[in-house]
Amino acid sequence: MKKILTITLVLLVISSAVFAQGNQETSKTVTENYSFGGSSTVAPIANSAIPAFEGKNPNTKISYETLGSSTGISQLMEGTLTLAGSSRVLKDSEIDAGCVPTVIALDGITVGVNETVTVSNLSMQQLKGIFTGEITNWNEVGGSNQKIEVILRDEASGTRASFEEIVHNKIAPKQNSIVAHENGDVASKIAATPGSIGYIGMAFGSIITEAGGTLLTVDNVEADVANVLNNTYPISRSLYVVTMGNPVEGSIEKAFIDFLLSEEGQEIVEENQFIKLN
Amino acid sequence: MAKTQRKNNLRKATESGSRAILLLSAMISIIAVFLIIVFILGQALPTLKQVSLKEFFFSTTWYPTQDPPHYGVASFIVASFEVTLIALILAIPVSLSATIYLSQFAKNKLAKILRTSIELLAGIPSIIYGLFGLSAIVPFVRNVFGGNGMSLLSAGIILAIMILPTIINLSEVAVSNVSQDLINSSIAMGATKWQTISRIILPAAMSGIVSSIVLGLGRAIGETTAVLLVGGNAPVFAKKPIDMGRTLTMNIITDMAYATDTHRSALFMTGALLLLVILILNLCVVEISKRKRLEK
Repeated sequence: MKKILTITLVLLVISSAVFAQGNQETSKTVTENYSFGGSSTVAPIANSAIPAFEGKNPNTKISYETLGSSTGISQLMEGTLTLAGSSRVLKDSEIDAGCVPTVIALDGITVGVNETVTVSNLSMQQLKGIFTGEITNWNEVGGSNQKIEVILRDEASGTRASFEEIVHNKIAPKQNSIVAHENGDVASKIAATPGSIGYIGMAFGSIITEAGGTLLTVDNVEADVANVLNNTYPISRSLYVVTMGNPVEGSIEKAFIDFLLSEEGQEIVEENQFIKLN
Repeated sequence: MAKTQRKNNLRKATESGSRAILLLSAMISIIAVFLIIVFILGQALPTLKQVSLKEFFFSTTWYPTQDPPHYGVASFIVASFEVTLIALILAIPVSLSATIYLSQFAKNKLAKILRTSIELLAGIPSIIYGLFGLSAIVPFVRNVFGGNGMSLLSAGIILAIMILPTIINLSEVAVSNVSQDLINSSIAMGATKWQTISRIILPAAMSGIVSSIVLGLGRAIGETTAVLLVGGNAPVFAKKPIDMGRTLTMNIITDMAYATDTHRSALFMTGALLLLVILILNLCVVEISKRKRLEK
């Protein structure tokens, strides 16, 4: 009898804790919550745009989760997110599923090398050769006799996908390469490895130089904003936000996209060292 | 009268109530292990729709985002065991010597300092070991052995340092549990201190020492952050210890944040494999310590 009593007591305590949480959640819905997320490259833009946007739309609470382009888009399709950031072009399968991309900014990919490398410019063809493993020594591209250590990003990185698409036509990169799993890791591995070469989103180029690496020109063009805009810098790409179906007039997602494309939104793009659209 | 009865009832209620709570807490760990296995397997099994077990375990080609994708983890399995082997080869002699010194020779103050520093070593977060490896061990390996320094050897060296405290602490317990009578008898028979250590103490403590080594092995094979920073992380089959390589843990952490679909479940499959290895190792420890009890 007493045993039953204590068990019910314990259950009661546990269930009350659970219900208490439930109540908290229902009381929060006075303000409207939206979950956005996706590309880590789009994250700085989203994270500075959201507070400004929330300021204009009281009772709206938006979160942006940094998940990576692919995960963001798949969660958008699952309905977990209502808007996804992407740093790569959508796959056909994603477009067929109803995803609609909107360009919100431009970005370039910067190539950096370890300070021991004497080369300061590479052509797109040379870059392709280096990253696919055909060129293995710096003396083949006008440098000193030093082995080239290629540094890649992880398999699912948007930057890697863009780099592969733009620079080496989706040919598989050299397998025997160092693999860095985030931007900071790229910078520290470039700095730590003699003869190394790696790439990073243009906005993060400074962390390579801060870590002690140097940035290269590509086809004799410097990796900077002006050169992406006038289409002379070859390794550049668009950043997108993605919605399921065309953004609906009057929805918070449509309002957010309009905000990103507005003058104020584009200023935020620029503040985060990406390239604004016009 | 009624008052004491009520008091008694209350006491009984608190007692069985607290026992229920204790039981629940004890159950949580069982439930957690069970849930972990179920969920990891649940996420891992969809891999088999795309990849055969044979390809997964025996292919060395890992190209999850190429067209067509390849999901072979053979080189990662080998690399995991290779770094662990290097770590054990380096750590066992050092930690056993340290254990013998601590238990048989070290006196008072020095012993205290040594023990404190070993405990400190155990408390250092693995990212710190990784950063130390990147700034000290990688250049050391590059200058002494060649290559770019990021290698399975560097990873093994870092792991060796990391598992020292595990092996030393546990085997010291085993050594100090050897009965003093046994040691005294040995000395009384005219054995030297060294003979006593090598023929009496070490054999008597052997099962404890072996289980400490197996636990160290488990820690080494499961370590992620530190080896990620120094191993190079190239998804290739390392032919020599100074080549770059990728272990099972590195493979999971590198792609996990962004992976989707089969790529993602292949990472869970890698995790399931790792879990299996660790479970087998733990069963070994249980077996070994059982044998120890029988000996007594």
